[in-house]
Amino acid sequence: MSIEITLEVNGRTHRARVEPTTTLIEVLRETLGLTGTNKDCGMGICGVCTVLVNGRTASSCILLAVQADGERITTVEGLEQDGHLTPLQESFLRFGAVQCGYCTPGFLMTATALLAEKPRATRPEIVDALRGNICRCTGYKKIVEAVESVVARPS
Amino acid sequence: MSECRYTRARRVDEAVAALAEAKGDAHVIAGGIALGILMNEKLVSPTWLVDISRIEALKGIVRGPDGTLRIGALTTHREVEESPAVAAAQPMLPEMAAEIACGRIKNRGTFGGNLSLADPQGDPPVAVIALRATMRAAGPLGVRDIPATEFFRDLYTTALREGELLQEVLFPPLAPGAGTAYGKFAARRAMDYTSTVAVGVRAVVEPATGCIKDIGLGLGGVGPIPVWARATEAALRGMRPEPAVIDRACDVLVDEIEPLADHLYSADFKRHVATVILRRTLARACARAARGVEARR
Repeated sequence: MSIEITLEVNGRTHRARVEPTTTLIEVLRETLGLTGTNKDCGMGICGVCTVLVNGRTASSCILLAVQADGERITTVEGLEQDGHLTPLQESFLRFGAVQCGYCTPGFLMTATALLAEKPRATRPEIVDALRGNICRCTGYKKIVEAVESVVARPS
Repeated sequence: MSECRYTRARRVDEAVAALAEAKGDAHVIAGGIALGILMNEKLVSPTWLVDISRIEALKGIVRGPDGTLRIGALTTHREVEESPAVAAAQPMLPEMAAEIACGRIKNRGTFGGNLSLADPQGDPPVAVIALRATMRAAGPLGVRDIPATEFFRDLYTTALREGELLQEVLFPPLAPGAGTAYGKFAARRAMDYTSTVAVGVRAVVEPATGCIKDIGLGLGGVGPIPVWARATEAALRGMRPEPAVIDRACDVLVDEIEPLADHLYSADFKRHVATVILRRTLARACARAARGVEARR
């Protein structure tokens, strides 16, 4: 049984035919060719597949595409504006918060959602928001610092 | 891959009708967290998905004039965590929801879905037992109420009958002098789904005597199902929470639970952890009762 769904991905509307059991990440990577979103654990634990659904984080590897029908999806490809990285992405580069890079899209999406909701997030709030994303290269210090550095300061 | 049917229900009766037609062969999908994981793990291969996630009637949080809090089955963990109405009526619930996995799971995972899964590591089951909630199910014969203490029957098995789905959960108002608390032990909160131990305590303390007039105790991660610790409640009810009383309650608890050993911890270690978390959580609940923190309404 295939079902036609509509997804708004990074501002563009796409139609796709999917099986009821097709996951969102399969549509993103295989149908739309958006391979920035990575897949790993398949259990909602590691966080590398994190995307935004209507501005809120979701694990795209366990979310069925039919459940995302009609929703607004943002992937890591959708962060940059007119070819320019966001301040958060720049900060990841500046702080060396990227090592192998596999977890990076998930961290970026999680931190982007946090900063949109809490532009003045405190360090404990940042650490708590990132608790569901795993980095296996180096640890979390530089990642937390990178996020903290773009927190809006009271002027 | 076998063919899978898909029904997107817009009303509860549509979902109930689809479940009746499927005769037990359908899987209900709400937030899709557990089902998505089980499908990826190839533990479940649905032949019919009944998607209830767009049924508006199953959403929302309402506090009735008598103080009863009603949480619709599709309410997300995040909504439970952030709702001022929930915090005012049942402060254990946001404390509990804060412990669930991580943000992106709380954004989509639903209160009713988690309860219907009856995962022994789940957090909401612990709270509904301690708070003596009522589970309201919709089925082909109409609506039926099941006490939370009788809802969890076996590993991943609830009292829901074939063709029924959980519609909402009702929490009776806390008695004057009640204090509640939720405590959890987890190696790593966001990813520990096998080795957690959780305790929910609702204690009603008589101000004059300091005695525990009434108590509700729910535990998670200490057996094949979420546990209603009846014997431990009995050991505390009517007593003043003094060290000797609590020591005895911990002895009763150790005999009342049957934790499963896993790749991290032995059953005996989990028994010990359960007593530690009970002591701490009970102390917090009693302190809150004494301060009258939860009497404000």
